[in-house]
Amino acid sequence: MKAFTALMHREFIEHKGAFFLGPMLLLGVLFGLTILAFTVGRVDVHLSGALFTVAPLIIYEMGFFGLGFAWSLYLAVTLFFYCADGFAADKRNNAMLFWKSMPVTDFKILLSKLTAAVTILPGVVFGLALLSGVLLFGVAFATMSINGTASVGTLGAIVGIYGNVALTLFTALIAALLWYLPVMALVGAIAAAIGRWAIPIALLLPTLISTLEWVTLGGLHPFATNTWRFLQYRLAVPQTDYVDTWFAAAETATSGRLGVPRFDGVVASGEVLASLDWTQIGIGIVFALAAIYLASEYRRRVNDN
Amino acid sequence: MNELTLDPAPPSGEPIVTARGLRKSFGRKEVLHGLDFDIPAGRIYGLIGHNGAGKTTALNAMLGLTDCQGTIRVLGEDPFARRAKLMENVAFISDVASLPRFLRVRELFALLSNIHPNFSQDKARGFLEGTDIKPEMKVKHLSKGMIAQLHLAVVMAIDAKLLVLDEPTLGLDITYRKRFYRRLLEDYMTEERTLLITTHQVDEIEFMLSDIMFIRDGDLVLHMQMETVNDKFTQLVVTDPAHLASARALKPVFEETRFGQTVLIFDGVPRTQLEPLGALSTPTLSDLFVALMQRPTANPEPAR
Repeated sequence: MKAFTALMHREFIEHKGAFFLGPMLLLGVLFGLTILAFTVGRVDVHLSGALFTVAPLIIYEMGFFGLGFAWSLYLAVTLFFYCADGFAADKRNNAMLFWKSMPVTDFKILLSKLTAAVTILPGVVFGLALLSGVLLFGVAFATMSINGTASVGTLGAIVGIYGNVALTLFTALIAALLWYLPVMALVGAIAAAIGRWAIPIALLLPTLISTLEWVTLGGLHPFATNTWRFLQYRLAVPQTDYVDTWFAAAETATSGRLGVPRFDGVVASGEVLASLDWTQIGIGIVFALAAIYLASEYRRRVNDN
Repeated sequence: MNELTLDPAPPSGEPIVTARGLRKSFGRKEVLHGLDFDIPAGRIYGLIGHNGAGKTTALNAMLGLTDCQGTIRVLGEDPFARRAKLMENVAFISDVASLPRFLRVRELFALLSNIHPNFSQDKARGFLEGTDIKPEMKVKHLSKGMIAQLHLAVVMAIDAKLLVLDEPTLGLDITYRKRFYRRLLEDYMTEERTLLITTHQVDEIEFMLSDIMFIRDGDLVLHMQMETVNDKFTQLVVTDPAHLASARALKPVFEETRFGQTVLIFDGVPRTQLEPLGALSTPTLSDLFVALMQRPTANPEPAR
């Protein structure tokens, strides 16, 4: 276990730029923009002002969700490129034989990469996303203090909102990582075999498989096959009605109607988890392990340094 | 197998490496043609051959990096099936540039102390004392020589029974090369450890070798202790052309002309027979290499 943890740690060190330094830079930019907004007096118009006065708590919730969505997009892109490139990094860095001189199997090395992709790497980005939320709430509370609408009760409400939204974002992150685990493993396994070509191959793979079914079994066109329907279902983002309904109500609230109930993170998280197809997740975990095993057997036989 | 002599050292216990009928093919081309050898513990072996002779393939077979036909056992284990387990007691440097470039020296040591059960961070730091390598330096910012020093410190800090070095000093200047081998001898070698080195710079490692193996086109053509090499092979320099025919009658394994003199190398011919014909000496490893490894494709003037 100690060796496995160390291998995950080396993944973090190797990809610190994408998963720590890059997000830190973005956070810095966000902080800089906020300070700038304050100093040039535009904060009342763009970041708070009338909006915060009318429906401040709704703005906190929606703002944090917006940040969470932006960070999720960042994470999705970086994780895809990590899998498509990080699994071939030992070969690209001429370090393959060094790692093979260590008393760890190729399976353990590749599994540590996949485990890092669903734990430490998104965990760091999630931590920074939470920090950006603190920054947003700090700015909002400061603004409210300036315009006189802040109180201890408001601060308590902000903390509560922060906790609820953070819980929902965390649950959604876990759900997404579990749901897309087989995709990450497949992209990583392809990368272990063919390096960066995994990027176009992974993007083309669904079309290729669907076309293969269309060619061999027939059908209206390549995108009207069982394979394509399954892939559409399997690649779709897990969603819940609760979040959609709440957002619709919240949008109305920001345009003047107050009294929208607070976002309930526990209910939303419960719905996110309940919406998941756990059988598919189980199959996905088995598929991911199989893909990593096959890739490790390939890597065991190839010593390209 | 057209082996001249197979006279390995008397084993002290089980051999570290045992190979029987070791074969390896890439596609239709067979690069190892059924090697048989034992490597006992506590020896320093030189595995020497031309480019493409099969040295690295043989090493890869020993290190579990490639699957082969025949039987090979290292420390009693099948290296390909049990590579990870084997690496607890085997260390190797395949290429001086293979250290992960993104790591700092201290990060490398910290990771290794968690990954390798027989790695000592204190020892590694000790080996780097007196060098210009500092813990905060990134591997990618080190010079080639410094990377070689660092890699050597890493493998020497591993308490391994077998150390394999495949062209460890490739591309280094002579100062680094000499320092590299000196440290290896002074700080690492003990009678429990076995060292296997391949290099083209045979003269630089000759002083430290206890045994040599010459590999040519996938065959082991020579495998013996250095003491036996000195007893068995004799170099004769003939300055008087009148003696040349007599010398040739004793069937030298190699002949060439240098600065108007004829140099011949003999295998197993008593020195008393050769003494009247010219000046005798023991051939250096590189002379012996040239003598035994001549290939028509590589040498326009084939050996006699």
